[in-house]
Amino acid sequence: MPTETPAPTARTEAGWRRDVWPGIHWIQELGGHRAGIARAVLESGADWYKPGNELYVPQNAYLLTGERTLLWDTLSPASGHILLPALEELLGERPLDYLALSHPDVPHAGNTMQVLRRYPDCQLVAPAAGETHALYHLDDAMKVGPEDEIDLGGLRVRFPEATFLDAAIHTWMSEETTRTLFTVDWMGFPHQSGESLRRTDEIATVVDVGRLEEFHSRVMFWFQYVHPHKVTAATDALAVQFAGYGLAPAHGLPIPGADAAPYYERMNEVVRRVAAGGRGGVL
Amino acid sequence: MWRRADAGASCERARSPERGRTVSVIDLGGGVSWVHESFPETNGHIHVSVYLVDAPEGAILMDSGSFHHRQRLADRIHDATAGRGIGAIILSHSDYPHSGNIPAFRRDWGDFEIIASCGDPDLQGLPYARRTKIGDVTEVLGRRFVVLDPPLADRNHTTWVYDEASRTLFVADGFGALHAPGACDVDWGRLPEEGRAEGVHEFHAQTLPWLRYADPNRVMGALHAMLERHPPAWIAPIHGPPIAEADVDRYMADLSDALTRIAASCGSSE
Repeated sequence: MPTETPAPTARTEAGWRRDVWPGIHWIQELGGHRAGIARAVLESGADWYKPGNELYVPQNAYLLTGERTLLWDTLSPASGHILLPALEELLGERPLDYLALSHPDVPHAGNTMQVLRRYPDCQLVAPAAGETHALYHLDDAMKVGPEDEIDLGGLRVRFPEATFLDAAIHTWMSEETTRTLFTVDWMGFPHQSGESLRRTDEIATVVDVGRLEEFHSRVMFWFQYVHPHKVTAATDALAVQFAGYGLAPAHGLPIPGADAAPYYERMNEVVRRVAAGGRGGVL
Repeated sequence: MWRRADAGASCERARSPERGRTVSVIDLGGGVSWVHESFPETNGHIHVSVYLVDAPEGAILMDSGSFHHRQRLADRIHDATAGRGIGAIILSHSDYPHSGNIPAFRRDWGDFEIIASCGDPDLQGLPYARRTKIGDVTEVLGRRFVVLDPPLADRNHTTWVYDEASRTLFVADGFGALHAPGACDVDWGRLPEEGRAEGVHEFHAQTLPWLRYADPNRVMGALHAMLERHPPAWIAPIHGPPIAEADVDRYMADLSDALTRIAASCGSSE
């Protein structure tokens, strides 16, 4: 049920953070109001968006704190002034032990050097997949893949293959204690004023197929070229493999594990729609 | 395919087999030059190149190349432009091997114009960029370019551009191909036939992972439609050698085979 209780947020200048699940802290960069997407949403007749509200497609980073600490992604270069104060506030005197990048895409890895300068003993962790790590300054990083696990002491992270991805150097991450799957560019969706830093169980609006489509028809533009059944088979396999896991996307709101199951079928419908109707634009 | 031991050989001093001298930039005609650079991978070399376009008001660089090749690119661009440097960059997308030299080149040659396609330039680290959209016809330094929706791309904000004056289609991550060490400065049609088709397959299998889910007919149909609307004298990829008009049909046949093989690796199309 939606709740009116304010989320436990702390503002850090223009950015925001909160604790989303035990040991998992969420740092969010809203970016600007996406007027073009807001117009498209209104034209679609969707009832989740209130005209006049700001509409956001955020960037999310997650800080995991066990006995050791790990930061998952770094937001865009426009938000170093958000990320670093948030990290300093969350970590206090503790070190940052690992910085793990999902993929070297600018809105995900845009503050990597700033973080490594601030925490010089931090171990950079990068996807093992791909061939051109040196072109991304990742040749000296610790490479991780589906066989690898990092024990943070109280939290354990693994690196399953990214099922839906854009670039070759890419990984997803799971945290096995809280059963959370970090899905990077997949399962993103826009939100509006008043919904920032809320989980899906804390907002009053529905994340339906159309809302997921607004994001994926832009970011996963390639859905327009697929055999839909191949994508839906992969999605169905994820639903089985990660049944009960909460979902923590990089461009949406976290979805509790108890609510996650219907989202997989919604994504299957998104793929069918984009394959039939083409891409929605550019993000 | 070529093995790693060979692939480790450097292309840094690539020499033209015909002319026997170090090649700086290769003239494709119509005011377009190929500034090639390569990087060794497991199964061959991959181009991480850029192109220079002469425009009435200065030189345009198509993408900026990788930081890995920064000094050599800067030196060659300096030579090719008689020290004037570049007046603008048209950026296909803000992926580091394409955009990584923009800050350094702006330090070298001043605050030249950046033309980029991204929805939000701030988020891509390009707050100073002029934004273009798919479908635009845009003028850069007095030369006209058509901005196109790419059927083969990794990032969602990638665009291809068609230079009307030279009929060159700049295709970013599309139309790539690995090549053998020592063949870094020849166009695709002049690559040794042995391994050439495999180079097309290998590139797409590793670089565009979503192709495992693709319907090859849909992708090829979109590409054929684009080539019909914008017939190229040259197709100019970043990650492969340029493809001359006379070789486009052969490349497309190899690409179709490659996409079919990649799609077959991920279950049936039925």
